[in-house]
This record gives sequence, structure tokens and C-alpha cells, in this order.
Amino acid sequence: MHSPVPLEPALAAFITSRLSIQVAASDGHGLASLVRAVGCRVSADRCRVTVLVSRSQAAPVLAGVAANGMLAAVFNEPESHRTVQLKGRDACVEVATAEDEAALVPYAADFSGRLAVFRVPEAYVRTLVSCAPGDLVAISFTPSEAYGQTPGPRAGMRLEGGQP
Amino acid sequence: MSGPLTLDVLRPCLEGIVPAGIATCGADGMPNVTYVSQLMYVDQEHLALSFQFFNKTRENILANPVATVLTMDPDTAARYRLTVRYLRTETAGPLFERMKAKLAGIASHTGMAGVFHLLGADIYRVQAVEPVPGRELPAAWNGPALLPALRRSIDVLGRAEGLDGLIDVFCSSLERQFGIQHQMLLMADAARQRLFIVASRGYPSSGAGAEIPYGVGVIGVAARERVPIRIMFPASEYAYGRVLREQATSGGLAEQLETAIPLPGLAEPASQLAVPVLAGNHLVAVAYVESQHECHFGYDLEDALVALCASLGLAMHLLQCPMDGEEDGAGGPPEAVVERPGAALRVRHFSRDDSVFVDDDYLIKGVAGAILWKLLQDHAQDGRCEFSTRELRLAPALRLPEVCDNLDARLILLQRRLLDRSDSLRIEKTGRGRFRLALGRPVLLLAGEGG
Repeated sequence: MHSPVPLEPALAAFITSRLSIQVAASDGHGLASLVRAVGCRVSADRCRVTVLVSRSQAAPVLAGVAANGMLAAVFNEPESHRTVQLKGRDACVEVATAEDEAALVPYAADFSGRLAVFRVPEAYVRTLVSCAPGDLVAISFTPSEAYGQTPGPRAGMRLEGGQP
Repeated sequence: MSGPLTLDVLRPCLEGIVPAGIATCGADGMPNVTYVSQLMYVDQEHLALSFQFFNKTRENILANPVATVLTMDPDTAARYRLTVRYLRTETAGPLFERMKAKLAGIASHTGMAGVFHLLGADIYRVQAVEPVPGRELPAAWNGPALLPALRRSIDVLGRAEGLDGLIDVFCSSLERQFGIQHQMLLMADAARQRLFIVASRGYPSSGAGAEIPYGVGVIGVAARERVPIRIMFPASEYAYGRVLREQATSGGLAEQLETAIPLPGLAEPASQLAVPVLAGNHLVAVAYVESQHECHFGYDLEDALVALCASLGLAMHLLQCPMDGEEDGAGGPPEAVVERPGAALRVRHFSRDDSVFVDDDYLIKGVAGAILWKLLQDHAQDGRCEFSTRELRLAPALRLPEVCDNLDARLILLQRRLLDRSDSLRIEKTGRGRFRLALGRPVLLLAGEGG
């Protein structure tokens, strides 16, 4: 087993800048499912990424993670279209912390600020990323692969040097 | 939401207003997730995803065709997971063109014009729809109730008399029943592969007689592919003006195309919808509506206009095909045309293209120009003012095709063009298949060069 390679600081900063996030897991029989995430944090050593999801919305994703630990998470900055996908093979479901719960409000505020460029109403974004108290759950993983997915000819290529 | 969750009721989620996500699974079981620029409703069981770049999603679905799409309602934020199975990719034809036009709007809305380029429309069968729990917003007001509007419109269309009556009733219905402020109706000229405007509402000038070739812009593509084309955001690739000029010039069309009559239309429409008016497989016309507001015309309005245009198409087709005994003979009483004193109107005709100029101002060319010239010549010879469509059909100078000659549409176009351009020259309908030339001033006929 290789020792994990920390994310580049710029990539860690990018994925925690309150972006549009979707995460996917597979059921082990060839079907992947996905859910919108409502927050992201990176460990101090930048080796571990945690995405926050609504437990009630994420049921098939949580089941997949519990079954095989494989996870894909895509991070998109709407106004610039910069998009990165991270993948890991050791994902696990964790209890969300009080800090995670507290981060929901600033996440919704910043994310709706980004979508204001496209005249998306703030109430719409807040509804999209709302999560009832007690429904929040965390999925943590060690990113082992990173891909640039910004639309264009380089979409899908492995990121070199960890630049988003 | 009550009732079964079908793709039909999820159509707002398939407009491409809010980007969707797709999760696929690699051969090693590793999931892949990406954003989708565009989802599009195909029918109750199928949707299309835009294929723009070769990427991991594509690699995965070609090996393992089952995927999950996460899509959101653009008004309520309701979320749905759709289990889908990839079937095929279409790279040309009606569905591809619908998607290409729609994507052009999305690209320009998201600042990706020039980056988004549709390689194909990936068709998927929807195997399951799962609502994702969570908060939703109340549904927004969506404009007039469409089924009652459609019923009332079809009802009045059925009572309209003559082609001009049909056209007026159709335009009024769009305005009154559907609240559409900007619209054009263009008749198809299959032989010359172009459309000409016969009526419009909501613009400073009617543009009657202005032409659009098949395949150009939203209207031309709708005509060529015989499929409704709808764009939810401003899309410069599909705007007229510039595009029309460029394509006409590059295709050598400029000389034959009616470019002297400017197209009406909004300078930068934010929503556009063109619906082909068909009679069986025969393209009769194209109805075009536009708005300054984004996302103004949805799937349901498109359906309503397609249904209304089906009624219009059949009614127009019946009227366009000349029938024996088409003239009702009654006509209006022959009206003494009082020629007001005044300088003679100089009408010049060029036989090369049948263009007609009135007092040196361009009026019209082509079949409509030839008709006007014939009427004026007949009037000059024997003072006649009363005419019938039957005699025009028999006139060799007009070279009309024998079947479905569009003559009535040409006469309406000429009538409206005269209203736009001249105070002293009129064509008035006096009965079925009968009309009158009304002159407010003496006319001096001049043959132009080559005439």
C-alpha cells in the first residue's frame, strides 16, 4: 500500500471553496448512483477529503460506500466552469460533526452567491442544498486519482501536479 | 406530486436549465460522476444527453450502458434519480438538430459558446424514476392554462373563412389565447426551398415578403427537419440578420433571396420556438414565436402549438389546392374605382426576376411581382378591376405549378406588402376566389431593363 499523497494546497483550497459537488458510488453490480453534496472539508495533512450529504437523499450512495468503499466526487465552480473529479477506494461513512452542521449555512450562502451570476434565485439554491438537522452525514476518503473535467478538449485527463 | 412519475411530468427537469449529473460505473467497479450540459426529453420512455467530448463517462457507457442521472426541477428544486440505459447516438436528423439548437442557447447562457459543440445526441431508455426526498419550493405560475387555450383556438380556426381568415385567426389566437406578443407566420415554398413571411405581430413593420432559406436559423432548421426547434436562452448562432446574410452569401443565394425586405424580429430574442405547420408529410408553413424573456416557452407550450399547427396545416392545405367551383361568383358589387387626381404612380417591372418598383421604391419580386404586373397590365388595357384566382392560375406568364401553387398565400403576401408600402395601390378580397384591384391614383406602367 502506497502512503497517501497529500492534495496540492491549491487543489485543497479549490474543493473547499463552496462549489457545486456531486458524489457517486457503485453497487458492485455495475450500477452507480449519485447525490448532491452540501459541503466539503480537507484534513490538516491534506490526505483525506470529507464530503457532506443528506442521509435521506444519499441512501444508494451510502450503501455503495459501505459495500465497497469506492467513491467519485466532482467539484465544479459554476462561474468559471473549472471542474475536478477525485476518486478514492477507501471511503467510509462517518458521523457529521457539529462543525459540519454549522458549515451548512455559509456553504449555502456562498454557493448561491456563485449561482447569482446565472440569475438563479437564492431561495432556489438554499432549497437545493438544504439538509434537515440530524440528517447530515459525512463520507471520508483518501483521493487516489484526480481528473480535470473542465469542459473542453482536456476534459477527463488526469491532473498532473494537482492544479485544478 | 400526485400520479405516476413518468418522464412526461418530469419534462421541466429535462430543459437543461439546471445542469444534471450522471454517474457511470467502470469495468473495475469504480464510479465516475460528471455534469451534463444538456438533458432533453425525447418521448415518454427516452431522453437524450448531449455528447460533446470523449471522456470517462462515454468510455463507461459504451462498455456498461446502465447509468444514473440526477436532475433537478428548475422551479421547485425537486430532485429525481433516473436509472437509464444507453441505446445509441444520433449525429444528424431532427432530434440532433433540436438538441444542437437547444445546446447553443445553453452554451451562450453559461458563457460556453465556442466550447460546447454537439458531436451527437446520446439516446437512453429510462428504466426507473426515483424521487429524491428533501425540501421543495412551490411550483411557479406557468402562464395561461394551455388546454383551454388550445381548444378555443382550434374552435375559431375551424370557423375561419379563406386563407387570409385562417392566418388572421391563427395569429390572433396566439396573441389572445396564449399571450404571445411576437410572432411570424411563414409560408413554405418547397420548389425554391425557402419560406416567406405572410403575417407577423408585435413588430414595427410586418416584413411581409421577407424570405428565409430552409436550414437557416431556428425557422429554417424547423422547416428542413420538420421538427419544432426551441431555444430557452439567447443564441447568436441562431439569430437571423448576420447568419442569414453570411449563409446566403456563402451559398450563392444572395441574388435569388428576397433580401430587400428586412426581416422583422427581436434583435436579441431570449426565447425562440419555431413549429413546422404540416399537412401529412407536406410542409405548408412555419409558425415562429419569440420573447425577450428567457425560458419563456416550455415543452407544454410547444405541444400546444404543435397541435394547433396540425389543425392549421390541414386547413391551409385544403385551401391551397385549387378545387373546381372554387369561386363563389357572388363577389362584391363592382365598385367604381374613383381615381383621385394626382401625379401618376410610376410602376416599373423587371422581367428578369419579376421585381416591381413603385415610384422607384422596391416593392416585391417573384410570383407576387408577376401577379401585380399582370393585374396592372390588364387594368391598363381594358380598365378591369375585378379578377379571379382561377384566371391567374391559367395565366401562362405566372408559371404557377399545377397543384398546390400557394397562389392564395402569394396574393395575401402581395396584399400585405402593398398595405406596408403604398397608399394608392390595394388588393381587396371580394369573395371566395375573387378580388379587386383598387387604385387611388393613375398608374404609369414602365418596363425596366430587360423587361
